[in-house]
Amino acid sequence: MEQPPKPRLLIGKPGLDGHDRGAKYVAQILRDAGFEVVYTGIRRSPEQIVDTAIQEDVAAIGLSLLSGAHNALFGRVLELLRSRGAEDILVFGGGTIPPKDVPRLKEMGVAAVFTPGTPARQIVETIEGLLVQRQTA
Amino acid sequence: MSVAQRVAVSWHSVTVMERNLDELVSEARSAGPRSQRAAARLMSVMTDQPHRLAELLAGSRDWPQPRLVLGVTGAPGSGKSTLTDHLVAELRTRHPHSKIGIVAVDPSSPFTGGALLGDRVRMMRHATDPQVFIRSLASRGHLGGLALGAKGVVRVMGLIGCDVVVIETVGVGQSEVEIAQNADLVVVVLAPGQGDSIQLLKAGLMEAGDVFVVNKSDKPDALQLQRELATMLERSRIARLDLAHPSAVPLACHGPQLVGPEGPIDMQRDRPPPAVRTVWDDDTPQVFFCSAANHEGIKELAAALEQMTHSHAAQWQARRRRQAAAEIRHAVLEEVQRRVTAALQQNGNEELIEGILAGEISLDQLADHLMRESVSRSQTSPLSVDAS
Amino acid sequence: MSSTADATNKIAAAIDAWTSGPVAKTLAKFPEQRKEFVTASSKKVERLYGPDAAIVDQYESKLGLPGQYPFTRGVQPTMYRGRYWTMRQYAGFATAEESNRRYRYLLEQGTTGLSVAFDLPTQIGYDSDDAMAAGEVGKVGVAIDSLADMETLLQGIPLDKISTSMTINATAALLLAMYLGVGEKQGVPADKLNGTIQNDILKEYIARGTYRFPPTPSLRLISDIFAYCTENVPNWNTISISGYHIREAGSTAAQEIGFTLADAICYVDAAIKAGLKVDDFAPRLAFFFAAHSDLFEEVAKFRAARRLYARIMKERFGAANPKSLMLRFHTQTGGVTLTAQQPENNIVRVTIQALAAVLGGTQSLHTNSKDEALALPTEEAVTVALRTQQIIAHESGVANTVDPLAGSFFVEKLTDELEAEAEALIQEIDNRGGVVAAIEQGFIQRQIEQSAYRFGQSIDDGDRVIVGVNKFASGEQPDIDLFEVPESTTQRQIEELQRVRQSRNAGQVEAALAAVTAAARGDANLMPPIIDAVREYATVGEICTALTGVFGEYAESHS
Repeated sequence: MEQPPKPRLLIGKPGLDGHDRGAKYVAQILRDAGFEVVYTGIRRSPEQIVDTAIQEDVAAIGLSLLSGAHNALFGRVLELLRSRGAEDILVFGGGTIPPKDVPRLKEMGVAAVFTPGTPARQIVETIEGLLVQRQTA
Repeated sequence: MSVAQRVAVSWHSVTVMERNLDELVSEARSAGPRSQRAAARLMSVMTDQPHRLAELLAGSRDWPQPRLVLGVTGAPGSGKSTLTDHLVAELRTRHPHSKIGIVAVDPSSPFTGGALLGDRVRMMRHATDPQVFIRSLASRGHLGGLALGAKGVVRVMGLIGCDVVVIETVGVGQSEVEIAQNADLVVVVLAPGQGDSIQLLKAGLMEAGDVFVVNKSDKPDALQLQRELATMLERSRIARLDLAHPSAVPLACHGPQLVGPEGPIDMQRDRPPPAVRTVWDDDTPQVFFCSAANHEGIKELAAALEQMTHSHAAQWQARRRRQAAAEIRHAVLEEVQRRVTAALQQNGNEELIEGILAGEISLDQLADHLMRESVSRSQTSPLSVDAS
Repeated sequence: MSSTADATNKIAAAIDAWTSGPVAKTLAKFPEQRKEFVTASSKKVERLYGPDAAIVDQYESKLGLPGQYPFTRGVQPTMYRGRYWTMRQYAGFATAEESNRRYRYLLEQGTTGLSVAFDLPTQIGYDSDDAMAAGEVGKVGVAIDSLADMETLLQGIPLDKISTSMTINATAALLLAMYLGVGEKQGVPADKLNGTIQNDILKEYIARGTYRFPPTPSLRLISDIFAYCTENVPNWNTISISGYHIREAGSTAAQEIGFTLADAICYVDAAIKAGLKVDDFAPRLAFFFAAHSDLFEEVAKFRAARRLYARIMKERFGAANPKSLMLRFHTQTGGVTLTAQQPENNIVRVTIQALAAVLGGTQSLHTNSKDEALALPTEEAVTVALRTQQIIAHESGVANTVDPLAGSFFVEKLTDELEAEAEALIQEIDNRGGVVAAIEQGFIQRQIEQSAYRFGQSIDDGDRVIVGVNKFASGEQPDIDLFEVPESTTQRQIEELQRVRQSRNAGQVEAALAAVTAAARGDANLMPPIIDAVREYATVGEICTALTGVFGEYAESHS
């Protein structure tokens, strides 16, 4: 019997911030959990990220940002997804994000926010949970 | 079952149900805003359920095909992605209105099945270009899946109107043979200072290539690599001539390394099946010097590839027909296997095998039985092998 | 055999006997907490270290005296007995006006040097109204578009009395030109200006990501700055070769010094190729390292870096001026070690890290604030961070003697090991054709990534404890006041930029930019035309566009 296909994920770094340690680590632990993870590299525009997500047919986009520009840039990614009719693609995020911004991001449509120090297992489990939820919804 | 697989199972069921193929195909072909998304999903069907390729093929005879499918292969670190990136940029300049597809393959982890697909990092300038469609693929263990899946992705790229499709391989192992079966032209990228390059040449890359690129030609060892490559190509050419016309080339010409009757025979043994490559049996392939990072040599390479699309057009027609035939054979065999397996399961696997062990039925009888079973099952199947 | 070797052999024998005797007995009853003890960089640590005869027998070549080759024990003879390190807090946010206010506050509180943080558009060379700058204006530092912003930033700060460090790399030439411009307006001649530009582009390709131009023209810009400053701004530190970001990206301590010194070798090579004499520019090369919490490993790292650098400069480049051989460095406590959980704990981490920097002989120090895992620091948090340095200086007593940990069996051994490991990495990079080739091959990035991955795994496995995160966690959300960059920043900055664009002489700006382009095409020093363009209020974005027109742009090549 053929292997069931695995959901593909995208890890992207929007904006100008070049700190990619967290993004790469999360990409690696998701790979270790059996996902196929498309990595965009640093300094990507929301347009590049959304176009990539669509062409790669990913189930979710993870955005990492340490510069504090998350409200503007995460918002832009969500907006573009909606305009492309791809709002079913989940968006999660991480980085230097003050707790007070988390409710605002969630309201915007960010499914989960991971701040520094979140254990790998928790990240993987949350994403898996969200993907299952999305399928059964 | 791993957690990712658990997620995958639920994902899978939705994928299969939700995606009405006809709808996806017509959406992908339309120039509408949802065309990219539909094409991307169609590609997922191809990679995730390669057996449905046959189903699609049956209804896809009028699908447009890319004019040129280009394979780019070479050892990891030879600069394949950067070369691909620059080559695509050059092709975009030459044909501003043509669409280009890129298929970039990265290895899957043999342990977890996961993969990090990072080739795009070097191609991001094309990400928002509506005329370029990039798809990353995980090798998923190479055998079986990749060839069919990648082929399917190329089909979809043809469907959405890609004029040229570039397939960038993992660069290790069996992908070289696969690329030769999937591409019209294969560009082998080599970089100086990498023992890997020469090793890969010895391991079969040599026969897979129509064009060789010495990348990073600004590096000090580039000339040395070029010399080694030239020697190997020359040896290979002589061996081929020798095989084709045993009397045409005196043995003495082989040089000291090949003296003796075993020489050409070794070459023969090391060669991949003859169906793989036929283009340059009579002439030595071209070697190009490029420095993708410094934008050098790319224009010349692109021009030569274009030239070859004209000069080799006839051969390609024949090869594509052979490839299509092989593809159909493969798909049919897969389908037969799938049905016979299903029939075997239906009839109680264990019991039948016990029957053979006990000498109650013969293998032939069982096979006949199962084939009859699977034919009767086919009436309820959405597919019809006869249709193609 | 020397008498010290005799003595140390006896001690080694005693330690062996002790290990097989009393230690074995204890272990049988009370096993140790773990099979293997390791440093923060996963270096194995022994139960006990004994003396090494080489420390005495080869004292001169291994340690020397403070202020003397090989500078293992420090670059000045009296170190902190003469003057404390410069307490320099990295700061900058929003607009020039707001950052200027923060600088004045810090100076009132007793910082002794400025350290300017620029926002990302300024660092990469985009104007605040560029589409690429969206969301980023004033976020991680101050937004500077033109000389006008720089004038506001440094208003009321006497440039002849203060030294200023600027974290600026791809656009270092532009921001230095602006600093010189402000000096000119304040009536301070260039040879009276003191400060540092980071100007270390190689580590941007490796780890930090604010590159703009490809390596070759970037190295040319750096050599041009070296040449210009040697002539005109003699007290300026023309580069701060940085291991900090390499460490932040996840390297080990040994990789931090190995890769940083490999970068240094590349810069020195480039300057020599550009026709400069090593002893003319090498005295102005400065370094920048991280201080993490593994106290002894960090102290050993600083000592090993000094010794290895002195040797490289002397043996590889034939430098003769003692100042060319001295590795002078700034330290920042490790940003990645800060946790968002239980942020108060960060004050303790920073204290240990700052102590490591001081025990390691740093020339200047930035201490991170407790809230920086969550946002830019508040004024209150910055004050505590500065007080931490002041307590170490004035209360702890560690600054009373020079190189207080020298002679520790453990620290000397670690120093040797880190030096050897770093040297092997430099050798590997040499074999690969130098640091630029190693970056292009992705070798350095991969090495760092692998270390980061292992470190991350050791935390996720619970093998390495991070207090408040994977052990002793409280599960509570931190409830602290965080600093916020005012929402109106982008708007105000763009308005100011438009005002500047309207009030300058368009024709002269155009001519100055054309001169920059022309210089970039040729091989004349780029500093003079950049200074001219800055004087005409050409913007950072405009000058960078002129340069990219000739140089092209660098794109990430490794994944």
